[in-house]
Amino acid sequence: MPTLENPYLLKAGRVEKVIKECEGVYTFHVRTQEPAYPGQYNMLYAFGVGEAPITIASMGEECIVHTVRAVGDVTRHIDQLREGDYLYWRGPYGNRWAIERAYNKTLLIISGGLGLAATRWVFEEALNKPIKRLVHLYGSKDYDSLLYRYLYENWSSKVEFYITLDRPDPRWKGKVGLITELLKELELDEDTIVFTCGPDPMVKACVRILQEKGIPQNNIYASLERHMKCSVGTCGHCMIGPYFVCKDGPIFRYDLIREYFERKEV
Amino acid sequence: MESKGKGGGYLLSLEGIRELFDRLREKYRVIAPKLKDGLIAFSDVDNFESLPFGYKNVEAPGFYSLERSGGYFTYTHPYNSFKNFLHPPELTLIKVKKENGKLSFQVHIQEEALCLFDIRACDLSALRVLDLVFLHKNPHPDPYYAGLRKGLFVVAVNCTYATSTCFCSTMGTGPEVKEGYDLLITELSEGFLVEVGSERGGEILEKVENKSDAERRHFKEKAQRLGETEATMRVHFEKEGLQERLYGRMDSTYWEHIEKRCVACTSCTQACPTCFCFDILEKNQLDLKESQRVRVWDSCFSPSFATVHRFNLRQSVHSRYRQWLMHKFAYWVDQFDCFGCVGCGRCITWCPVGIDIREEVRRIAYA
Repeated sequence: MPTLENPYLLKAGRVEKVIKECEGVYTFHVRTQEPAYPGQYNMLYAFGVGEAPITIASMGEECIVHTVRAVGDVTRHIDQLREGDYLYWRGPYGNRWAIERAYNKTLLIISGGLGLAATRWVFEEALNKPIKRLVHLYGSKDYDSLLYRYLYENWSSKVEFYITLDRPDPRWKGKVGLITELLKELELDEDTIVFTCGPDPMVKACVRILQEKGIPQNNIYASLERHMKCSVGTCGHCMIGPYFVCKDGPIFRYDLIREYFERKEV
Repeated sequence: MESKGKGGGYLLSLEGIRELFDRLREKYRVIAPKLKDGLIAFSDVDNFESLPFGYKNVEAPGFYSLERSGGYFTYTHPYNSFKNFLHPPELTLIKVKKENGKLSFQVHIQEEALCLFDIRACDLSALRVLDLVFLHKNPHPDPYYAGLRKGLFVVAVNCTYATSTCFCSTMGTGPEVKEGYDLLITELSEGFLVEVGSERGGEILEKVENKSDAERRHFKEKAQRLGETEATMRVHFEKEGLQERLYGRMDSTYWEHIEKRCVACTSCTQACPTCFCFDILEKNQLDLKESQRVRVWDSCFSPSFATVHRFNLRQSVHSRYRQWLMHKFAYWVDQFDCFGCVGCGRCITWCPVGIDIREEVRRIAYA
């Protein structure tokens, strides 16, 4: 038996840039030359605290971009990092968005909350691909939780990029209401390809509307979030039905996981 | 005497078996059954006298006891399994040191020559299952498991007795050991039939003096004894088509019925030789200069097992039981091309409320 690569080894990268997105959410640009693809994630490590799976939000000049919300012990720790510090991680893990399926078709991206971090990179990529029509719906719970404000102008100048807030705000002149309302209003052809990432209930509600619009389930892809510990398909925590979200996902064609995703407590 | 290669057979006396054990002890760290706290337990065994000869384990749902018996290998499998040694309950994956704000990493992969002395057909099947999980059907083969597994020498023993919780014949894994061994022992009236399953098995047996060629009648007696063992077990459910049946019963109300009994204690998953789930914990030094990332067994019955942030995706105990049973008999087949259950019956014996998985599978899939 040859010596096996150790999947638990961590690598280090210098934090080149830190952007405060909103209260408790930071974006880190971390130096690396490791190849990765839109849709994949890394396990970010905090010394003495543990690891957390974080999607790769984008790829810059020899940098990976991670957006981290301080919700748990690990993420709270990572959000303390500043320029010049080192981030430790392992990865990339998981599959990628099937962007080729959207060539010469309509691509609809639906992002809820921090889910935008999981769709941002594939969206940026799609801007330069032969996509017939590119639409991106982004729902945020309130004005203060909006991510990547500095990118909206560029995005909306190129494609249909719509934002809606769950709660109204005097500073917000745009749409207010759930993302499902925005989706209902949208005219879509039946062969639209859909990429979505957001809270489970949002994904389920959007899929119902998409079905009403005649879009088949095998055109819909969802990036799921589950309890991932090892990320290499061995620890068992992230299982949903017969799938390991960490290695078979995190992106699933909806018709393949519907059985398990929509059933309670699977 | 001329040496025999793979497929050969010898008749050994008890003295011959002792010799074999001692030869193995010279080369390997031997893991074998041993009497421990009123149980037969897989343990490190240094001398032949420690083997629990003359005992048999009597098991039933939620029940275990030992009785005296007349022969030698008259028990079935130990209460724990080889899993404790190849996938230890606690194992350090990586040591992290912090110096001047920078981290450095140390990995120690244990590579040890282990010998499993006296492993039964069900557990040998479980070993093949874990090989698939950790190595052959894993895109990131596990180097820790591989290190301990690498040189493993397997002495298998055919069961000439089955306890009431055994159901290897239902799962098609026993009682006869058919493959995956270096040496295979069957206890007979005249002595012990030892069959050779590998070259190195043949080599070690060559050094044993107390042996003679096995004859046709010895193989005949082996077949007869295995037949008798099998006859004491009944087939509890049909394995063919079970996966599809279970997929069709995910919404059955029977799952909730199990919740009235299951206390989610995790005993079944600890005792199971194929349950592989683990957690990774941080073990920190108080001065925060060193932290170890430690892999510890976890269980799908633990309350936090499927928790994402604050949300527990499997809040109810019956959903955890469903996860466990569906994994063993349905999901596992999709994941690893085999069942996750080998019919050893440990989960039945060690369930504090005596939940019998054979009965639950039958009721869910076939009632």
